[in-house]
Amino acid sequence: MGSESQPTAPSQSLGPEYRPATQKPTATVSKPVPHKNVHILPQTPQLIALLTMIRDKNTERADFIFYSNRIIRLLVEEGLNHLPVVGHEITTPVGRTYAGVKFEGKICGVSIMRAGESMEQGLRDCCRSVRIGKILIQRDEETAKPKLYYDKLPEDIAERWVLLLDPMLATGGSALMAIEVLKSRGVPEDHILFLNLIASPEGAKKFADHFPKVRVVTAFVDQGLDEKNYIVPGLGDFGDRFYTM
Amino acid sequence: MSSDERIRYSPPWGNASIIGVAGSSGSGKTSLALAIVASLNLPWVVIMSMDSFYKPLTPEQSAAAFRNEFDFDSPEAIDFDILVDRLRDIKNGKVAEVPVYSFEKHARLEQTTIVYSPHVLILEGIFALHDQRVLDMLDLRIFAEADSDLCLSRRSQACTSFSPYPVPSSSFEPTLIRAVVRDVKERGRDIEGCIKQWFSFVKPNFYKYVSPQREIADIIIPRGIENRVAIQMISSQITSTLATKSAQHQLELTRLGKIAEDSPLSKNAIVLKQTNQVRGIHALLMDPATNREDCIFYFDRLAGLLVETAVDFMQFTSVSVTTPQNYTYTGLHPVGEVSAVVILRGGSAFETGLRRTIPDCRTGRMLIQTNYRTGEPELHYRALPTNIAEHGLILVLDPQMSSGAAALMAVKVLVDHGVPERKIVFVTYLAGRVGVNRVLRVFPEVRCVIARMGDDMESRWVETRYLGC
Repeated sequence: MGSESQPTAPSQSLGPEYRPATQKPTATVSKPVPHKNVHILPQTPQLIALLTMIRDKNTERADFIFYSNRIIRLLVEEGLNHLPVVGHEITTPVGRTYAGVKFEGKICGVSIMRAGESMEQGLRDCCRSVRIGKILIQRDEETAKPKLYYDKLPEDIAERWVLLLDPMLATGGSALMAIEVLKSRGVPEDHILFLNLIASPEGAKKFADHFPKVRVVTAFVDQGLDEKNYIVPGLGDFGDRFYTM
Repeated sequence: MSSDERIRYSPPWGNASIIGVAGSSGSGKTSLALAIVASLNLPWVVIMSMDSFYKPLTPEQSAAAFRNEFDFDSPEAIDFDILVDRLRDIKNGKVAEVPVYSFEKHARLEQTTIVYSPHVLILEGIFALHDQRVLDMLDLRIFAEADSDLCLSRRSQACTSFSPYPVPSSSFEPTLIRAVVRDVKERGRDIEGCIKQWFSFVKPNFYKYVSPQREIADIIIPRGIENRVAIQMISSQITSTLATKSAQHQLELTRLGKIAEDSPLSKNAIVLKQTNQVRGIHALLMDPATNREDCIFYFDRLAGLLVETAVDFMQFTSVSVTTPQNYTYTGLHPVGEVSAVVILRGGSAFETGLRRTIPDCRTGRMLIQTNYRTGEPELHYRALPTNIAEHGLILVLDPQMSSGAAALMAVKVLVDHGVPERKIVFVTYLAGRVGVNRVLRVFPEVRCVIARMGDDMESRWVETRYLGC
């Protein structure tokens, strides 16, 4: 394992248009994916800089939490844009009309324990009183397959839009199982938005194949998975870095 | 006219008027200047004392000074080169670093004071009308005569009733008494030393250097601070100068507005993508039915998005980092610090959103108020981080830009403080096209990040909504 075994990654000069190419430093950007249901945040220099901070193993926990939260808020803002709205015209304080919109439909968050819970604050920063359900899925030692251990979800979840939270999408095993749980409670597939910071191409493809109507909103699609199913280059164990390290 | 052409903006402090007040030691120049400034009570009329420009002394001179044998009352003691240099800065509306002179130590101190943006400067000192280079910059020359005239022409008996202080037997000169009291109280000297100074230097110098300045003065004011009529006269003279400057500034703003009127929105104006969420938040903010709590919450959310958009204009550099699994990732690190300048009072609405993104952001403040009679913006107060010119990016925060006049002034202040235009991003919630163009035509390298385009000259309702008054 190490840098020499890394697959090649898309590299790009980043910076505002007006800057000459020499002033636009080069960085690795998200791998493009062909799936229609996968939405990748715009690869701005700022976003790349935030990801650089949380990938760096030398970043302290306090900084890790702070920079993760900034990315999470951007993810939530992007995710919320996929929710339905209705036209809502209002009169402005200066007496003009403004063709605005009104948010439609109830929402709730569902975090996949434990790493997903780290995204709850970011969600609350944008939606103050949002209900948050939890799902605990762990790998069964005998079968090596994900197993549902616990869930607690809003009773009326079938009538809600669900923002499913998990920061890393590697093989997609637990996320796919979480979607099964949500569907079994009556949530329509196209009412589910899966928010994550870093996805693997394999995980993204699995989502596209199994649940093409579930929208995946991610900050970055990485290069691939290693033999231990870690995302490459990834950022290590998100839950550990956020909660215990 | 091509849209890339740079247009000049001259702020009201762009061509400061300077008034020189000379007069002998203890003639009441300072009190006179203070009385004039107090009667006007405007932050843009300031006093600068020539005492600040004493030359730093050599060790020998310093020893002489402590024996009261150094001639402080000769033009030689004044550093006219620096004075002229600083006056030129002030005249041109630039930031002037004025030295601080300590009379206790007979030395210039490390720190300096900043004189910036006076519309009228009163230069006060024994030799305010001495140097030709200074005279060339003065708009009004005043000579304060006070009682010294009587005393020094040896008609001292006339003044004996003036003094409440114990009078040294050698003299009945009230000017001397005033100078002594002042020197002991404010300059840390002893009485004996002062008297020595007086007879060795002050008096001879008066005839040699001070008195000739009378001849070139426009106005000679006898009796100093007691002369109410003279103070009143000078004050009205300054008031009319200020009114002229204000009228010129308004004309200037109108001229810039005309230039901006017909052009399309500048490409350096970045309007947030009007996504569903953004449009929904706009509607909530404008709807009178939305309660205050919600207004603040949604404004903070949008402020966060605006700041995230603005910080993308930082410079970045490539960097290679290692992940916990020992893979490498080629990413970016920002270069330099982001700081912010809040335009009071409205700009403070951005601070919650700002600190969510940059919790330790250094934040300068400027109070720019629009005069309700003339509609002209006025700079009342400013406190900026000392090394602001070296920061990587400076966000100027103001929730609304209507005419662009206040924004223009704020950016001008930063440019005057040495901040390169390209490092300035003006962040606002609501702006009109003419206002934005007005600012960006004058400062074509500045960028403007806007949540929504509104009417030109829209009234300032955003901050009222956010702050609740």
